[in-house]
Amino acid sequence: MTETVDRKTPAGEMVLSLRGISKSFGAVSALTDIDLDVHAGEVVALVGDNGAGKSTLVKTLAGVHQPTAGTITFRGQPVTMTDPSAALNLGIATVFQDLALCENLDVVANIFLGRELKPMQLDETAMEVRSWTLLNELSARIPSVRIPIASLSGGQRQTVAIARSLLLEPKLILLDEPTAALGVAQTAEVLNLIERVRDRGLGVIMISHNMEDVRAVADRIVVLRLGRNNGVFYPDATNQELVGAITGAVDNSVTRREERRHAEQQLSEGGQL
Amino acid sequence: MTGNVNDNALPAVMLDRSDERLKHEAGIGGAVRGFIDRVRSGDLGSLPVVVGLVLIWTVFASLNPIFLSSNNLVNLLFDCSTVGVIALGIVCVLMVGEIDLSVGSISGFASAIVGTLWVNQGWPVALAILAAVAVGGLIGSLYALLYNRLGMPSFVATLSGLLAVLGMQLYILGSTGSINLPYGSAMVNFGQMLVMPRLLAHVLAVVPGVVMLATGIRTISRRREANLSAPSLGSIVLRAVATTLVLEIIVLYLNQDRGIPWMFGLFVGLVMLMNYALTRTQWGRSMTAVGGNREAARRAGINVRRIYASAFVLCSMLAALGGVLSASRLASASQQAGTGDVNLNAIAAAVIGGTSLFGGRGNAYSALLGIIVIQSIANGLTLLDLSSSLRYMITGGVLAIAVIVDSLARRSRVSHGRA
Repeated sequence: MTETVDRKTPAGEMVLSLRGISKSFGAVSALTDIDLDVHAGEVVALVGDNGAGKSTLVKTLAGVHQPTAGTITFRGQPVTMTDPSAALNLGIATVFQDLALCENLDVVANIFLGRELKPMQLDETAMEVRSWTLLNELSARIPSVRIPIASLSGGQRQTVAIARSLLLEPKLILLDEPTAALGVAQTAEVLNLIERVRDRGLGVIMISHNMEDVRAVADRIVVLRLGRNNGVFYPDATNQELVGAITGAVDNSVTRREERRHAEQQLSEGGQL
Repeated sequence: MTGNVNDNALPAVMLDRSDERLKHEAGIGGAVRGFIDRVRSGDLGSLPVVVGLVLIWTVFASLNPIFLSSNNLVNLLFDCSTVGVIALGIVCVLMVGEIDLSVGSISGFASAIVGTLWVNQGWPVALAILAAVAVGGLIGSLYALLYNRLGMPSFVATLSGLLAVLGMQLYILGSTGSINLPYGSAMVNFGQMLVMPRLLAHVLAVVPGVVMLATGIRTISRRREANLSAPSLGSIVLRAVATTLVLEIIVLYLNQDRGIPWMFGLFVGLVMLMNYALTRTQWGRSMTAVGGNREAARRAGINVRRIYASAFVLCSMLAALGGVLSASRLASASQQAGTGDVNLNAIAAAVIGGTSLFGGRGNAYSALLGIIVIQSIANGLTLLDLSSSLRYMITGGVLAIAVIVDSLARRSRVSHGRA
């Protein structure tokens, strides 16, 4: 029991704190009154159904959207982010779902894109060394940093995208569906990567639809439903609790399906006997 | 264990050679094998255009031996420089995946401006040229405005620009229709006669090799210091010596006649400058990134609009400069300047030289190589006394082949993971 209590009070300082964040697009309220806290060295998973507002929230934190109401406190200071580079400069890095890598450029060029060393005479050697350092810190397995992104696998691209987000020494990393397009082994590697990022003392917000992945790495699970907070859970929460919070009812299509399968299983077991 | 490590010795595994899955090629043989590998996977670079050039020259030389005479080749270089400068601007817009169809009109307009201001209004020639190039830049910034703020596709914006700018050219030339530039003036001499002193040409031909050697050695020592793999000294020396040798032979051959035109020197200088800007500066990296994946570039914090604007403005300014050069070459600013095939020759040159129409892929040297191909065809057919009808057909065919090679190579790159 004590272990659970420990996990509920993370030791790291508060990195990000949202209070009453709302965002509306015309008549549609995408986010209403969202509260969210992230501490250093903590992985917070953001889960919710389609249209729950996860991506809108992440885009708000990345500076892509500006909130209609509410305050964002980053490392103790209230902040407003007018564009993506403002968020980057504050120390909030985002790995978007589509990774946003340039396939025609090599790994080094992608990691340093927009942040090249010596703009008038690119310092390729220093950039390559730094790229290797970043990738090795993540124990990444990239054969060469001088090959174009086009020749890398999905997991390797995810690694490059995460390494790039670490370049500016951020305090908070946002990962939008980092495992959505990946195979079993690559998913495991990315989850390892997320743990390594957390162990470096960074705050991590991760969006995922995959409950297994969420349980595997998250310290806290924040559920959004229809643009509102709908509960905070810990990895030891049951699947039923989580699904209930996500879909908004204990009786829903997911539970009904499970009950039906359960009943069918019992029936077939009964038939065998 | 620690006591045995020699500080000067390289660690057993270099930073970028620790993955056992990667094949490593070392030395001169490795460089050759690497080149063959790249070509087979569709990363053709300048290979098709070099092969094409050899073919074209062989055919024309066998049909008319005058074609390869140094006198004719010097003429060829004079002709290359004007449209070549325009093609260099086209490389810029193609890099970001856009197009400028009005470069011909802009060049014609620029020559008309120089003619009017200099000959009719009595401005100093330098100021007139500066004004023409500035007007080119203004037109480019208008395209950038239409593209960035109003979302007008560059294809349409520059197509309407083609007509509008042509109209302005006709308007300022007015009733006279053409303005003759005075023979014997510095500007006309530059376009028709001025060549480098022989010795200077030979000295300049050594420069690329020396620069290659110097940067190569610097790269090797810096990479060794950083514990990265480095190319072998042998391959760099070989490349530098080969380049110098080829350039010296060209200079020696052309010096048998008048020599290297200063105008061509200006063109090559601009090409080298552009090459540096595209490959070794943050701006060039951003251009490639925007051409490859615009959204990714935007999210990386690159000011995408500014990059597009720089491409359009640079293209229009170079087009204007090309127009000024062709006015000095023809010693006139006429209503015909910049019309006809100037537009398509410039675009064709960039594409034939290996700059992709799909954006994010290309280099400055493609303007140089491409325009030599195009002018060789024009020049060869003129020597054979064939009409321009045939010239258009053949140039069109070569352009089609170049685009086919580009698309096929692109498909092959995708399947080989080199896109």
